[in-house]
Amino acid sequence: MYYLKISESPIDVQSLYERLKDAQYGGIVTFVGTVRQWTGDVETQFIEYSAYQPMAERQLEKLAAPIEAKGARVVIAHRLGRLELTDEAVFVGVAAGHRAEAFKWCQYLIDTLKQDVPIWKKETDTDAVRWGE
Amino acid sequence: MGGMTMQLKVKLFAMLREQLGETVTLNLGDKATAEAVKPALIERFPAAKPILETARLAINQDFVSDEAMTLAPGDEVALIPPVSGG
Repeated sequence: MYYLKISESPIDVQSLYERLKDAQYGGIVTFVGTVRQWTGDVETQFIEYSAYQPMAERQLEKLAAPIEAKGARVVIAHRLGRLELTDEAVFVGVAAGHRAEAFKWCQYLIDTLKQDVPIWKKETDTDAVRWGE
Repeated sequence: MGGMTMQLKVKLFAMLREQLGETVTLNLGDKATAEAVKPALIERFPAAKPILETARLAINQDFVSDEAMTLAPGDEVALIPPVSGG
């Protein structure tokens, strides 16, 4: 069963990874998004994430359910609130029978999350405050 | 609704929330369809037009796929500016 979490708590990569381990799976792919200091010549100091939480959770369920129906396992966590440089903002993990599906679905999930899940970042950079990217 | 005015609360997020507040109440009259929401907001907040135009409408926590969809009084309506999670 998938595990989805959107919260202000720090992302515990190790415990999320443990949720993906299972004897039926031979490949686990995880993606971790972190707070980057430099984007071109813009320097980020910190990022605040906010969400339309019930819709975000519902949209994550709609992404995870069809992949689980194919026999894989999905774990996604997104952090909200103020994050400092190098903090983990998002964790997406897929465990599948073989690596090809695990890579494919992990990439699909993070790409779709970034388009369709109502979470926003507000960056405080050294020169300005910016919404989104 | 027989010409009655339907009051609709629209939830706002991110930069829209900062500029316009957490929710905006609209009176949509008898044209309470999904496609009427953004023009009504743009008319009321012309300065926010560029952001309002790029935002997507969500009804009951799903993006609207049918613009002609009629809104009911209990519907949860939200405007979703371009997202930037991850």
